[in-house]
Amino acid sequence: MLGFLINRLLQAAAVMAAMTVIVFVGVHAIGNPIDVLIPPDATQQIRADVIARYGLDRPLVEQYLAFVGNLVRGDFGRSFVFNVPVAELILSRLPATAELTLLAVLGASLLGIPLGIYAGYRPRSPVSRAIMGASILGFSVPTFWIGLILILTFAVELRWLPAGGRGPTAVLLGVPWSFTSGEGLAHLLLPALNLSLFKLALLIRLARAGTREAMLSDYVRFARAQGLSELTVIRGHVLKNIAIPIVTVFGLELGSTLAFAVVTETIFSWPGVGKLIIDSIRDLDRPVMVAYLVLVTFLFVVINLVVDLVYGALDPRLRPGAAG
Amino acid sequence: MTGWGHRVRPLALATATLALGALGAAAQTLTIGLRGGPESLDPHFSALGTHAEAMKHIYDTLVFADAKNQVQPWLAESWKAVDDTTWEFKLRKGVKFHDGSEMTAADVKFSIERVPAVAGPVTTTIYVKNVAAIEIVDPHTIRFKTKEPVATLPYDFVRVFVVSAKAAAAATTKEASPQEFNSGKAAIGTGPFRYVSWTPKGDLVLDRFEGYWQGPAPWQRVVRKEMSSDPARVAALRAGQVDVINYVPSADYETLQRDSRLTVAKADSVYVFNLQLDQRERTPRVYDLDGKVAEPNPLRDARVREAIDLAIDRRTLVDIVLEGFGKPANQLMPDGFFGSSARIPAKPFDVERAKKLLADAGYGKGFRIDLHCTNDRLPGDGVVCGALGQMLAKIGVVTNVQAISRTVFFPAQAKLEYSVFMNGWGTLTGEASYTLGSMAHTPAPDVGMGQFNRIAYSNKEVDRLLELGRATLDDGKRRAAYEEAMEKIVADRAYLSLVVLQTAWGGQAAKVVLAPRADEDTLAYFIKPKR
Repeated sequence: MLGFLINRLLQAAAVMAAMTVIVFVGVHAIGNPIDVLIPPDATQQIRADVIARYGLDRPLVEQYLAFVGNLVRGDFGRSFVFNVPVAELILSRLPATAELTLLAVLGASLLGIPLGIYAGYRPRSPVSRAIMGASILGFSVPTFWIGLILILTFAVELRWLPAGGRGPTAVLLGVPWSFTSGEGLAHLLLPALNLSLFKLALLIRLARAGTREAMLSDYVRFARAQGLSELTVIRGHVLKNIAIPIVTVFGLELGSTLAFAVVTETIFSWPGVGKLIIDSIRDLDRPVMVAYLVLVTFLFVVINLVVDLVYGALDPRLRPGAAG
Repeated sequence: MTGWGHRVRPLALATATLALGALGAAAQTLTIGLRGGPESLDPHFSALGTHAEAMKHIYDTLVFADAKNQVQPWLAESWKAVDDTTWEFKLRKGVKFHDGSEMTAADVKFSIERVPAVAGPVTTTIYVKNVAAIEIVDPHTIRFKTKEPVATLPYDFVRVFVVSAKAAAAATTKEASPQEFNSGKAAIGTGPFRYVSWTPKGDLVLDRFEGYWQGPAPWQRVVRKEMSSDPARVAALRAGQVDVINYVPSADYETLQRDSRLTVAKADSVYVFNLQLDQRERTPRVYDLDGKVAEPNPLRDARVREAIDLAIDRRTLVDIVLEGFGKPANQLMPDGFFGSSARIPAKPFDVERAKKLLADAGYGKGFRIDLHCTNDRLPGDGVVCGALGQMLAKIGVVTNVQAISRTVFFPAQAKLEYSVFMNGWGTLTGEASYTLGSMAHTPAPDVGMGQFNRIAYSNKEVDRLLELGRATLDDGKRRAAYEEAMEKIVADRAYLSLVVLQTAWGGQAAKVVLAPRADEDTLAYFIKPKR
């Protein structure tokens, strides 16, 4: 078990190191960030001064080593654009994205998995057909379009919900959250719905496919022959067996939504990290890009680690160290 | 004194009085949805337009660009050149900072001197680069020494904000300043609003400063929300979530106009789209019909440049491509700016003559070019570029249009990788030295001009006029020099001006009267309540 954890952490460190190199080389290949940022009427002298001040005139390797040196001391550097420490900048916006993502992914799971199981259990019923039909819309219609339609319907025409932005926040465990108040939830609803639609469709289809396969298997037939109730069969035999792919997808979706909820965040003016990273890419704000991608890598590693541990809980054969 | 203050004051007082009566807090709060916001609370950190726009709520400048982008006295009541290299500014008396202390020459000196130490990559040092020394004559008189005669010094000060020397005393390094300012400790200005809170890319919240020297603002509280997505901003306005938005997209303008609950306003901006033709002997992205780099560079032939100019149908660009959000341009700045020439005629559109000129120049069969432009910097930049490609194809110039992100465009342009490119230029100062000095002078680091001339354009006569203009303190003579320079630049056709952009605002008809401005700023102080 310990070996497994150490192995994972080493992998993570290697991926994170690779990430920093890619960002440094990538930004360098595009050009000097200062040329994107500097005002057009700056003289050559001013331009040279600014470039020197940010150390961008030094060889790339030297810049990279300086960055690594600071990183070892826990310093990600300062944003070129905002002149505040990058870690502070990202952390200030992380709670907004976290609550939005968690609500979307959990909502999609709690709704999608039962619906999918039902559709797989009774594949020919009209309700199942309706569920499957609706799920096609979920992943074929682009998010930004659905987002705008949601805003037009519920905010502009009906005026039931706000068109965007985050509601008032209250501090809980030292972090400002907005889901604690009614108004905050009202602000959360539309963006979370928009973000969850694709995941909902995905989980429905996944659960349905798994259920249909499981229903035909011997263990389900024997369980039924034993005289167990249908609910017990589904809970004890079907759900357990289809859980592995669902947990995998859940983990990946959670990670990618946390990291890249940018479309929804932009349309709903949600003050999360997605908007921050897109803008920092546009401005070639290298410190923010590097720190963010390192953070995202770390996040994925953690999520995958949790997923692996959940596998073990679900299926003893998959426990790390168990003889395969 | 500008007309603004006089018109605002009675209204502001009326509102303040009303507020004490029946009106609730909601009617007193102005919520604005904006495409971009500040980058810090330190006014000297960034020269970005959206940054300066936000800072104008909290801090004041010595001189102010009015709605038409012409300079007006502001914290400085008057200024004059004492000799060729000395400017004297008289400061307004009785101007109070938010902490109640009085603004004096010491604050101005402190503000200007701290700029080089705290400026970020969008460097504000461009505004103070001409100041060699500062001398305080008395608390309300200050003198600026320059190394050489600088006629445009007052224009430079349009974006030099005055901070309190006392409150910002500790904020004189790049590391200390964000903490001092963003916490609000040093964010003490003389502007119409006090700072309440801000999150990067989020909301900037401001409260009215009752002691503002022009009379208090009509709004008790102003919330400036950053909403970068155009459809989101429009939806928020239509949903009644915000009172005012900037940059209404052309596609939505008519819908908003038809909505009786909303009001819209449009203004000419300071931005002109220019097509730029590389004048180097050998240019990388112009090819003959076989795809080999063309030598010599066809763009050096005046007939070829004229043909390209004649091939552009500016009316169509404005009416169809930009959906009416612009005006045809015939020079590098909008009409009425200091140095724009009224003698330059409108640009003709004549495909037949263009083809004949190409044939005369020996390119009867045409040639190929790569046309580069941004697609995410200014409204319409990508589509105008696409339309240009089609127009040039009609005279036989086969055009490969590359509309790309500004992130890629500007660094490559700085490395001189492009031959034919289009980008917008905003004459932010409202006068010609800013635009022509940067773009049309031969690149010359030693004279500090031509730093944005990325096409190796060089005309000795233009250089002479621009240097003359910069050194001439007499307004009439300086204007004449710039107008003549502008006429010569337009005649050379290395810069082909296409359109002057327009921008639009939207607001709740029942609540606000919009205040459109040429510099595209959305300033809460000038947005009046509807009564």
